[in-house]
Amino acid sequence: MHDIKGNHMKNADAAKLATAGLLACLMGSTALGQDKPFSGITLTIAAQNDQFAPVIAELAPKFEEETGATVKVDILDYGSLLTKTTADYIGDTEGYDLVTMDIVWAGEYAENGYSVELSELIERDAEEIDVDDIYPNLMMGLGNFEGKQVAFPFAGYANVLAYNKTRLDAAGLEAPTTMEEFVAAAEKLTDPDAGLYGFVANGQKGPASAQDWMQYNSEMGGAIMGEDGMPTLNSDANVESLKVYRDLFRKAAPPGAAGYDWGGREESFRQGVAALMQTWSVGAPGYYNPEISKVVDDVAITTAPHSGDMAPSYGIGGWGMAINADVSPEEQEAAWAFIKWLTSPEIHKEFNLMGAGSFLRKSEMTDADLLAKFPFLPVLAETFENGDYDYRPRIPEYPQIQDFLGTAVNSVLVGDADPKEALDAAQAQAEDLF
Amino acid sequence: MSAIADHPGIDLVEPRGMPFATRRKLFLVVMAVPVVAYVLVVGIWPLAQGIWYSLYDYNLIRPQRTKFAGLDNYVEIITDPVSRQALINTAIFTIGAVFFELALGFLLALSLWRDDRFNRLALALILIPVTITPLVVGLIFKGLLAADYGMIGYFLAEWGLTDPRGLLADQHAALATLIFIDVWEWTPLVALILLAGLKALPADILEAASVDGATGLQKLRIIVIPLMLPAVLLALILRTVDAFRVFDTVYVATGGGPGNATNTLMLHAVKQGLEFFNIGRASAIANLTLIIIALIAAGFVMMIRHADRKANGK
Repeated sequence: MHDIKGNHMKNADAAKLATAGLLACLMGSTALGQDKPFSGITLTIAAQNDQFAPVIAELAPKFEEETGATVKVDILDYGSLLTKTTADYIGDTEGYDLVTMDIVWAGEYAENGYSVELSELIERDAEEIDVDDIYPNLMMGLGNFEGKQVAFPFAGYANVLAYNKTRLDAAGLEAPTTMEEFVAAAEKLTDPDAGLYGFVANGQKGPASAQDWMQYNSEMGGAIMGEDGMPTLNSDANVESLKVYRDLFRKAAPPGAAGYDWGGREESFRQGVAALMQTWSVGAPGYYNPEISKVVDDVAITTAPHSGDMAPSYGIGGWGMAINADVSPEEQEAAWAFIKWLTSPEIHKEFNLMGAGSFLRKSEMTDADLLAKFPFLPVLAETFENGDYDYRPRIPEYPQIQDFLGTAVNSVLVGDADPKEALDAAQAQAEDLF
Repeated sequence: MSAIADHPGIDLVEPRGMPFATRRKLFLVVMAVPVVAYVLVVGIWPLAQGIWYSLYDYNLIRPQRTKFAGLDNYVEIITDPVSRQALINTAIFTIGAVFFELALGFLLALSLWRDDRFNRLALALILIPVTITPLVVGLIFKGLLAADYGMIGYFLAEWGLTDPRGLLADQHAALATLIFIDVWEWTPLVALILLAGLKALPADILEAASVDGATGLQKLRIIVIPLMLPAVLLALILRTVDAFRVFDTVYVATGGGPGNATNTLMLHAVKQGLEFFNIGRASAIANLTLIIIALIAAGFVMMIRHADRKANGK
């Protein structure tokens, strides 16, 4: 009996000890779980090969340290990003948890339900996110389409005018504020014998030439879509703006611009060949970098010009971060945590100090550290406050319309096509999409 | 007595059950199953799928709008100006490139016919372009021909020999330039095939012709060219099929521009399929390309057989 009792006592003690140990383990694991709530989760981001992508990759270990989630960044060129992510969505293959979404893909995302609808999450975490600090134009343009928040903005780009102040001063010119002044200044600053040109823009067939022209077109009063939601590619205003643009391109752009995309165009400006260039603000930090720029002491940035008889029309572009709707709820929660973390005031400032060139918050525009490094921030603030994010239609048919325009504009700039005939052909193709 | 003979169950002359011929056939069928399955899965099934898709207005981005389109996708290749231009460009590119490759390749093969150390070295050197990936070739020439920094393009533009914007940006010269690039890369391969044909020519016939006093030109016309026909046709079929499918070089060098001046069928198909996800149209273009290539290949194969029979006096 004694032995039995003794054994029973021993067993009871052992059971108590085991229970206590188990509880401790559970509490410990809960505590650990609170420290690193996403341990074991891997987030894969499909990122456009813009300046922000390597910075995200560089910051990723910090997120892992804080939350336990591993972040892998797959950096892709624009075409591959669109093809691979669309195939991922369509095939439900869950290859990517997060995708950087170009502003013009918003309509396609909304129509097909590719990504998690973020409205409720934003409302739930509004205080944590500090929504009021984010420019409404960026919140709407970089992720909201017809009421659906398909992505969260993280990289706002402003279309700005970069100019070589030294050359303008030497020619006795002020920075142009109207398109008429812009054209006149570009022609005056062109001296082919000296290898100097007044202006540079993308001439390469495809998205490069289409996107640049669309910007100038909106500044000259043109529009891609009519009020009835149908394309108006061959409107009188568009034909007229393409004529002006063609003449400007032929008279004042470097000959090589016929084959330039964004990289070639930026290089031409950084090397001091071209004096005026409308561009996305993401490239601006590069002008101040002596390792890649010869115009560090000459460059200045201001708001984009517009036709004298119309209100300013500043172009807004950039990228939102979308969560793949196919991935598990746990991964979606971790992905949302990553978005909140990346766009938080502290991390987003660090992100930009590291050279991402991707601004988002009003507070960044007045931050002393950022202003010291990027003196052009007031220009971005003005553009984000008053800009237009719909001058490139954010509709599902956009990629094809852009392709039709890319061929039309290129054939006018580089070939001998007549602007009216080229835009008529593009319009006929675009109408078939609706 | 042998060990086998001690076992009455083993019958070496006529096994029991199925006859030997049936078992042999069954064995062959079983052996062929993996190959047939492979062809069905990898070849026939995707082809059938492609034909099926091509009969639909089917876009992966807007699958809800899918509808039966019959032969509309094929008709549109002819009626749509962009597709038609791509078809014409592809035909011009193929004819131009293959013609020059064959002509220059034949001259090269003749000049390398003599088997000496110099020719062996020269053959090895001229084959270098063949070893470079077409995509890289496109990038190299894009750089070389650029009007503002290209080692060739800059001087051509400076001397007024080309459009100031460069050869690849000139809509009248871009396709010809792409043909030149293709000729630069693939002529050595044609020369190699033709050289193999030359080396296989029967020396006794040529010696007999020399003894009979035939001139070099006569030997070329009467003996060399007729006997070389199978090799010529082999080079023709390889290059024609390849040139008709041109993609990489054009994609990186011009992207199909200026305008649609260098747009080719494969470029058009890739754009429709992988950029716009317009699977119906892309399948139709791919199928049409396949049909054209199959017809060209069948024509050349018949010519090879005919030439072969003629060469062998049958």
